[in-house]
Amino acid sequence: MRLAFAFSVYYYLMPRDVASLVDTLAEIVGPRHVRTALPERVTYAKDGLPTHRRVPGVVVLPGSRDEVIAVVRLLGALGMPFVPRGAGTGLSGGALADGDAVLIVLTRLNRILKIDARNRLAVVEPGVVNVRLSVAAAPHGLQYTPDPSSQTACTIGGNVAENAGGPHCLKYGVTATHVLALEVALADGRVVELGSPGGEPWGPDLVGLFVGSEGNFGVATRIAVRLLPVARAVRTLLADFTSLRTAGEAVSAVIASGIVPAALEMMDQSCIQAVEDSVYAAGYPRDAAAVLLAELDGAHEAAVAADAETIEAVLRAHGARSVLVAADAQQREKLWLGRKKAFGAMGRLSRDLVVQDAVVPRSTLPDVLETIARIAAEYGLTVSNVFHAGDGNLHPNISFDGRTPGLRERVEAASAEIMATCIAAGGTITGEHGIGLDKLRYMPLLFDGDSLAAMRAVRHVWDPEERVNPGKVVPVHACREWAGTRNAERGTRNESPDVRSDFRVPTSALET
Amino acid sequence: MTDRGGFAALDPCVHCGFCLQACPTFLATGDEADSPRGRIELMRAIEAGELSPDDPALVLHLDRCLGCRGCEPVCPSGVGYGRGLAAARALITSRRGVPPLARAALAALTGPGLSRVVYALARALRATGIPRWLAGWGRMRFAMGMLGATAPKVGGGRWRSVKVGGGSPPRNLHHPPPTSTTSPVLLFRGCVMQGLFSHVHDATIRTLEVNGYAVREVPEQVCCGALHEHAGLERDARALARLNVAAFGDGDEPIVVNSAGCGAMLKEYGHLLDPDAVGFAARVKDVTELLAVRGPRPGAPVDATVAYDPPCHLLHAQRIAEPPEQVLRAIPVLRLVKTPDAAQCCGSAGLFTLLEPAMSRAVLAPKLETLAETRPQVVATGNPGCLMQLGAGLAAAGIPAVARHPVELLDESYAAAGYYA
Repeated sequence: MRLAFAFSVYYYLMPRDVASLVDTLAEIVGPRHVRTALPERVTYAKDGLPTHRRVPGVVVLPGSRDEVIAVVRLLGALGMPFVPRGAGTGLSGGALADGDAVLIVLTRLNRILKIDARNRLAVVEPGVVNVRLSVAAAPHGLQYTPDPSSQTACTIGGNVAENAGGPHCLKYGVTATHVLALEVALADGRVVELGSPGGEPWGPDLVGLFVGSEGNFGVATRIAVRLLPVARAVRTLLADFTSLRTAGEAVSAVIASGIVPAALEMMDQSCIQAVEDSVYAAGYPRDAAAVLLAELDGAHEAAVAADAETIEAVLRAHGARSVLVAADAQQREKLWLGRKKAFGAMGRLSRDLVVQDAVVPRSTLPDVLETIARIAAEYGLTVSNVFHAGDGNLHPNISFDGRTPGLRERVEAASAEIMATCIAAGGTITGEHGIGLDKLRYMPLLFDGDSLAAMRAVRHVWDPEERVNPGKVVPVHACREWAGTRNAERGTRNESPDVRSDFRVPTSALET
Repeated sequence: MTDRGGFAALDPCVHCGFCLQACPTFLATGDEADSPRGRIELMRAIEAGELSPDDPALVLHLDRCLGCRGCEPVCPSGVGYGRGLAAARALITSRRGVPPLARAALAALTGPGLSRVVYALARALRATGIPRWLAGWGRMRFAMGMLGATAPKVGGGRWRSVKVGGGSPPRNLHHPPPTSTTSPVLLFRGCVMQGLFSHVHDATIRTLEVNGYAVREVPEQVCCGALHEHAGLERDARALARLNVAAFGDGDEPIVVNSAGCGAMLKEYGHLLDPDAVGFAARVKDVTELLAVRGPRPGAPVDATVAYDPPCHLLHAQRIAEPPEQVLRAIPVLRLVKTPDAAQCCGSAGLFTLLEPAMSRAVLAPKLETLAETRPQVVATGNPGCLMQLGAGLAAAGIPAVARHPVELLDESYAAAGYYA
């Protein structure tokens, strides 16, 4: 009812230029690809973190690069804010648009424009689904390496916006490492090319600046990415542990061995149950407190086998109850599928879910995991952990039933406390999901006013009017948040009065 | 706690979006409103009363759902999309009624009196060979192609039964084979299957008998109600379900179905009539399930390249993947080819092909492209709608292949082996 009312208000108060905006958009992309009806706009009100909900004013689905540029140019001329969106699998509310903004959905720009096997690169449109590029490159023995868990659904444009990670980014680096060049439509519709065919920056590294800008700097219309050879030799190990702490300690031991695994992932018991109850059941031991999924890869069978043996020995020496080595490609795929679909399986635990994203120094994992468990117990909430352990990139999933009165507030409070714990441990508030809407409130915990102002100044270079994805990433609109920051020494983190933590609050990472 | 019906099945959705790429309509439009996740938002909104079930924009996108349930087997949380959709459609229909075209099609295809006349006329028209000749794109010509595709032995002679090993007759000609015991099964005949595909029923009976089943008829049976449920006529579907449960009695004989759509519906009776029909639903078996249990017995070689195209209501709704392939592999020489998008819906989806022709053809198009590259002689699929949709599509696209039910191919192999002599 509330929505219907909002719509009627929207409709009758819709200014004339919005009506003509819709007509002009329809002229550019065709009437079928402009969505104004409330039910249609409602379907775009969430991303993969459904606790945030914003109904966009207009949804437009351009079908080509030229249409995107024409749309952006039009919105620039009208001074209208807009938000680019891929598949909407993001996890920070980053691809949501308010009622006064236009949502530009890029799913129809899904062509792979070029695969250059000799030079190991591909040029794609932003709406290409991540895994489809690897499938297309497979006949050449190549792959697009960053593999977010949502890779069967998420788009490369979205990956660029969020600087997406994934299990195999431990060894191979996150999206930024793999983007060579970009064509970007700026806020006013001007089109610029960033980067170079070889990937070396000609001048300042603007590609590096754009990747991870969360849609604040413009719309990527073409993306050149690096392709890497598919590893010839692979070993996948599944180690299980009877305590979360032991598993956390084993992670540091693996890294200390000097071998960099392709991937090193952890899942706790609650997550294992959800996966094992699903169609993606991988055979993880249900009675384990946690499992580690480790992968070794390389060009030489014997070398990878030797590394795998070393890692297996390290895992056993550090408390693994058993270590399973995947017998064949089929079992390996099963072990990975379980891990990658784990987030989606959380609906088995409860109808509502909040996933958090934070990075902590690897050595603090055992303590942080125990603290998170304590926070969950204090708030009476179910927290499941499934994360990139090798990077120290945590994803606590809080399951709850939003219909229970007062529970949402409790979940928010627990989330905040978990974040504060991670910051206090010397970590940061996002590893790969981005700040979006969800993490705005934590930014002042991490950055002082000068740092936030610097971020805002960089943004103004690209988008002086703050029309592209407004209200995200840098908390500029809420003065309270600004007031909360302390103009401490540059680079030092801010202490928050409501941080309760067992950890010493560290000073800057730049401290010598 | 109020009874939320099918809507409760949507609760596990956490909006992860892992279903998006499994949805044929999302792939066709790229629009979240045409995706499972977007439609779940719409269903939740009408349950919560936030959107009206007769809002035209909402109805448009729920009508455009094929109901293929391709999203269900990929969902990590096991969301019961199909059940939610049935509940939402029932709510929509209670508000806006059934659109005239859908009502006419329902009456013509499932109405006890009218459908007999319609099918008789259709068969007469089919016998003239005109439909096949007219087959093409466009609403009328596609419909003609669909009718043409129902003919037994259409375009026969493109593939042949061959005898290998010097043409000596296959051994073991007696049936039923001495190794198996004869078990009784009851045949579900359905509407379209009975009206236009009675030759598939004949093939079903014969091939089952060779594999040690004795097929019994159940005269009082009625339409399964699947098309009624898709149209949101839940009460009608429930009434038909009650009649069928009564007709098939309390025995424990398996109920054999050769239409994936009917099979999926009959297996849903447990939920529809909860708890009265749980036993009935457990007895329902696809013909290929029963055949696969017995091997099935190999027949004579058939020299044909066959692409198996699993019906959504078999693969996704009933989760039956292996048995049809097992049936086809029981035919010596036959080359079974796999196309990468076989598991994708063909766009038939019951009345969908008639009611939403544009979306239906858009969903069919990529499949036809793959088939044009693969060049099979036969596309095998176990559902009347898919047989008609694929048959019409192949004819319209000028691909020299025909659509056949897997048991038809097995039947032909058995006939050549002399099992029916």
